[in-house]
Amino acid sequence: MAPSPLPIASPLLPLLMAPVAFAAVLAFIVRPRSVRIPIKGRHVFISGGSSGIGLALARLAATDGARVSILARSAARLQEARDAIRLATGVDVAIFSADVRDADAVANAVEEAGPVDVLVCNHGVFTPQELEKQDLEEVRFMVEINLMGIFHLIKAALPAMKQRAKATGLPASIAIMSSQAGQVGVYGYTAYSASKFALRGLAEALQHEVIAHNIHVSMIFPPDTDTPGFAEEHKRRPDLTNIIAGSSGGMKADDVAKKALNGIKSSRFIVPCNFEGSMLSIATAGLSPQSSFFTAVAEVLGAGFMRFMGLCFQWNWFSLIEKWHSKKKNM
Amino acid sequence: MASLFFLFLLLPFAILLLVLAAIVRPRPVRIPLKGRHVLVTGGSSGIGLALALRAAAEGARVTIFARDPSRLQDARHAIRLATGVDVAVLAADVRDSEAVARALEAADYVDVLICNHGVFLPQELERQSLEEVRFMVEVNLMGTFHLIKAALPAMKQRAKESGLPASIAIMSSQAGQVGIYGYTAYSASKFGLRGLAEALQHEVIADNIHITLVFPPDTDTPGLAEEHKRRPEVTKLIAGSQGGMKADDVAKKALHGIKSGQFVVACNFEGYLLHVATVGLSPQRSYFMAFVEILGVGLMRFVALCYQWSWFTIIEKWHAKMRSDLLRETSDSLHT
Repeated sequence: MAPSPLPIASPLLPLLMAPVAFAAVLAFIVRPRSVRIPIKGRHVFISGGSSGIGLALARLAATDGARVSILARSAARLQEARDAIRLATGVDVAIFSADVRDADAVANAVEEAGPVDVLVCNHGVFTPQELEKQDLEEVRFMVEINLMGIFHLIKAALPAMKQRAKATGLPASIAIMSSQAGQVGVYGYTAYSASKFALRGLAEALQHEVIAHNIHVSMIFPPDTDTPGFAEEHKRRPDLTNIIAGSSGGMKADDVAKKALNGIKSSRFIVPCNFEGSMLSIATAGLSPQSSFFTAVAEVLGAGFMRFMGLCFQWNWFSLIEKWHSKKKNM
Repeated sequence: MASLFFLFLLLPFAILLLVLAAIVRPRPVRIPLKGRHVLVTGGSSGIGLALALRAAAEGARVTIFARDPSRLQDARHAIRLATGVDVAVLAADVRDSEAVARALEAADYVDVLICNHGVFLPQELERQSLEEVRFMVEVNLMGTFHLIKAALPAMKQRAKESGLPASIAIMSSQAGQVGIYGYTAYSASKFGLRGLAEALQHEVIADNIHITLVFPPDTDTPGLAEEHKRRPEVTKLIAGSQGGMKADDVAKKALHGIKSGQFVVACNFEGYLLHVATVGLSPQRSYFMAFVEILGVGLMRFVALCYQWSWFTIIEKWHAKMRSDLLRETSDSLHT
């Protein structure tokens, strides 16, 4: 009688089965299910589309064959953007001027633009300062534009988006431009981080509400990006914000736009823009939905180490703050 | 031999604990309440009233802050009856930054500022009026900015003079850790508070002011009873439709967390799991808690994905049922 191989293999068997079983479970449970969101021939509406990341997105979408509309405040800058895009791609984009703080103006612009397939809420303002020193008007400015402005856009576009998704049978997208400051709050960013963190609460709940209408929510988390807006922000950054945030690298607007558009097309809920951003996204995945099996595996396996890294960062940041203050006291 | 093996196995954990003990920031702190000025907004009912009661019972000098003067008086009577302590009252709408500034000025200085007020009106964003969205953002988020901005200068002074640590505590919600169906505006306002809190802790640590975020589940308050009336069906299916924790238990957990300077305060076991899942890059003063977070967050992410699977399944089934009900109604009406 041949000896059975099983008793020798048996302690190893569950050890090997466990990761396989775990991967199988993850593959089964990731929700919402991943979809491809086509851009070609569809209506892409981009707020803050006359400069920075928005302009780069508009160019890319136009190159991809989309019908593009851009929304911004300044009519002059919208014209310039339209000309720039026509020069670069040969495509003519529609332009709409409105202040996102004005719900009625936004509703009118969205109605004029026609039903939207991909709504990119990309506009934003950021003025860093210690809350103690910052005017409440500036705090309100950021919350009104970054948060309420996006509520206005989504509310205005949603009904027609639903109709359109139903009529075409194609998946639609609501993409929201957040920031790494929407994943962690640091010195000088009370108002800006508040407005960007809030977008996540909005997005998580919104995805639940619109999934049945084949609308997919994406949040993009760029780092500091080379834009006119960033140049302005840099002038005002408190010392400590520079010391803390200066440690992370910046990106070009075109690269952010590329990552963003890819994420939107793959219906990813969380779209990081660089390696550091991917690490940050794993650390802050929280209870966000995840449609990618591979990213889900990375999140589950990497979250513990990322928490340790996060604690190291906070150690570093609080030490920097301590040193800076004792230096000031000694001066 | 086996014991050596075990020691070897435990070694990395021991090393991790040691490293964490060295690096966790901010450093642990004890925030005394006795004899200090505690101001509680939304203090005339619900969790706020429970907080005021407990703080008063612990010997703090308490001020309660709310909109309605008559409810404030009722609350004051209730606290006097229960504890013998007389609390001060301040009436103002947190949306009005100038009224808040005047009120805080009248209060002189605050040692422990508890931004507890909040409103919550669940509804699908598509159906909800922008006025209601704005209401929640204005009260829950801007209102808290107004309070902190008004209280901060005097808090700093006072912390410096007294040499004692001060506290700014913010009442968030489990809806501030995860957004679910029906809570776009409410979750937005509560998530916002976390961004505010993380950045604020960096800014005020040097002034010996410590930030605490409290994340209660559904709590048995007049507010919850109102909210339940309008909860969308899907929200009920996901979040449940029963009552929640008792306000007094939430208050106990909250005050305990405030006194230990905890950045995040979970109010029950489920809340603790949710905290570990959503800990992100939040600061952590306790090296033991940090240890648990590191070991637990991966598993919690897995559990979180299971929850999202169940929620999206609930949503899918509900919509399918709605469609089939509609079809049946339509075909019934055609046949009659």
